[in-house]
Amino acid sequence: MALRKTPAAPLHAIQPRQHGRDLLGLQQQLTDADPRQRRLAARDLAACPDAALSLGQALAHETDASVREALFNSLGHLASDAAVQALLPLLRTEDAGLRNGAIEALAAMPQQVAPCMDRLLLDPDPDVRIFTVNLMGELRHADVPRWLQQVLRHEAHINVVAAALEVLAEVGSASDLPALRSVRERFGDDAFIQFATDIAVSRIEAS
Amino acid sequence: MTAALRTPTARVERVVTDADFLKFREFFYRKTGIHFDENKRYFVDKRLVDRMEATGAASFREYFIALRFESQGLELQHLVNTMTVNETYFLREAYQFDCMSNNLLDELVTRKRGNEPLRIWSIPSSTGEEPYSIAMHLLERWPGIHRHDVEILSSDIDTQVLDAAQRGIYSARSVANLPKPWLDRYFTRRGDHEWAISRELVAAVDFTRVNLSDPADTQRFRDIDLIFCRNLLIYFDDVSRRAAAEAMYDALSPGGFICLGHSESMSRISALYRVRRFADAMVYQKPQTGEAP
Amino acid sequence: MTAARILVVDDAATIRMYHRKLLGDAGWQTDEAINGLEAVEKVIAAGAQRPFDLYVVDVNMPKLDGYGFVRELRRLPASQQAPVMMVSTEAQLQDASTAQDAGANCYLVKPTRPAELVLTAALLLGDAEAAALAAAAHPIAGVAR
Repeated sequence: MALRKTPAAPLHAIQPRQHGRDLLGLQQQLTDADPRQRRLAARDLAACPDAALSLGQALAHETDASVREALFNSLGHLASDAAVQALLPLLRTEDAGLRNGAIEALAAMPQQVAPCMDRLLLDPDPDVRIFTVNLMGELRHADVPRWLQQVLRHEAHINVVAAALEVLAEVGSASDLPALRSVRERFGDDAFIQFATDIAVSRIEAS
Repeated sequence: MTAALRTPTARVERVVTDADFLKFREFFYRKTGIHFDENKRYFVDKRLVDRMEATGAASFREYFIALRFESQGLELQHLVNTMTVNETYFLREAYQFDCMSNNLLDELVTRKRGNEPLRIWSIPSSTGEEPYSIAMHLLERWPGIHRHDVEILSSDIDTQVLDAAQRGIYSARSVANLPKPWLDRYFTRRGDHEWAISRELVAAVDFTRVNLSDPADTQRFRDIDLIFCRNLLIYFDDVSRRAAAEAMYDALSPGGFICLGHSESMSRISALYRVRRFADAMVYQKPQTGEAP
Repeated sequence: MTAARILVVDDAATIRMYHRKLLGDAGWQTDEAINGLEAVEKVIAAGAQRPFDLYVVDVNMPKLDGYGFVRELRRLPASQQAPVMMVSTEAQLQDASTAQDAGANCYLVKPTRPAELVLTAALLLGDAEAAALAAAAHPIAGVAR
């Protein structure tokens, strides 16, 4: 026994598929009883631009972690308006894994998610607003500073403000200083807000 | 002949203040998991200034904004490149090979039926130091090699590098970490500065060109027991990195292991793997069938 | 006697800084992780040689959240077990029973107040001296739920 110089078939032959690799076939495979089949279908759907809706629907009831990851990765790969629409509802779910998977996938499609940001920041649910600000922290988009200013000026909920201060510590600029001062006043008795504001201000002033 | 008109260049302030360093450090840690201590200031500052010059940024602030908001994330990749050591040589991060020979393979063979070989995938192969290190380590340090067949697959996206791996000629620097008996046994000296690895070892590794982000390339890799993917994922952007991790997960057999570089972690990539700690190293394991991650 | 070691787990850098400063000022050593996965790795790496004495864990984190971390933690060897203080926003507090089911010991609401954080940590660490100091510094401290 020893090191084998690769023999007959070191790499797998392409396995025959139970379902066709077309959209319809893969959508079928997404409902297979075997999670491994569902995961493979989810992966393959990354190549189908029309698959966003199916991927989003599958996420709504998929419980297997490995399939979920593949569904999110494929939506991230599609990076289309349809993918954004499929992911946005997940910001409201109680399932933290789904929520954070959606944020991660959305973070990779800044151009597509940007048009939705203003509306999300006005959502009546403070958790949705927090998650939107979290998303902003990962977003590569020129409007991030503008959205943050919006939050600082108008947001009443302390944890949404806290989330915004977190992002500001990284991307804040001199034009944010007045808004930061107003935050300091509005939340004068909260030690964390004072701390976070001080950090953001000192970073801006030192740069 | 006209002399070129020169406008005086603006005086640029390419410095990294304490606040800049903290801001950069947090950002880099979040993205890569690499944490820079205060004592790395000189190392970090120098490279940041180099990148500022390379990108034409007049200040740290300007550089950081570009880094943070640039849509393709390419500058981050350049930055990671410069902040990490990319040298390749034989027995690099050898503690993982020790883990392989001392623990991982013995556990893996218990799941093998009949004469199924163990399958190890080394990616990127680069110029071959890693797959050949694995081969030598198996022959020298794993008693089980006498009872079990092992296939070593190795892949890289760069065909030039694959060619070099198959030529198998190495510098003194590259072989410096090898115990002398191994050097004597598996290499012949060529001239003053070169060593040629034995053709038997070259034949023992199956080299393929693979783009880890391309499912068409990776779908052929299945039933892999052990993957070495060291100091590669760190250079990918987020989306490609997740695609690569996805490909490797599906390549692995249930219960298979994956070793990342010593400063790399799955914690920013995928929640599907279990962390296993062994005496020599911490590795990641694909759950066995039916087991939750 | 060596100072107690506390692992602060939160995806927000500012909160990690805040908690580490408060806990550090109270005399304890701290380390940090950005999510439940990294936290599990740090716990495993610490092993039986340098275990943590307390975990201060955010609920909402990507990859592996606070509950997931506690579930993973409770599967590890006895030497790595320690009290877990979970930190969550008001809305997430509804998952009180989830926290307890997962094996957490108590939870605080974000943003945490210094006295509440330090006093609760001191109580969970069994550090009577630190508890007395924290209580004295802020006569009206929040009560851990």
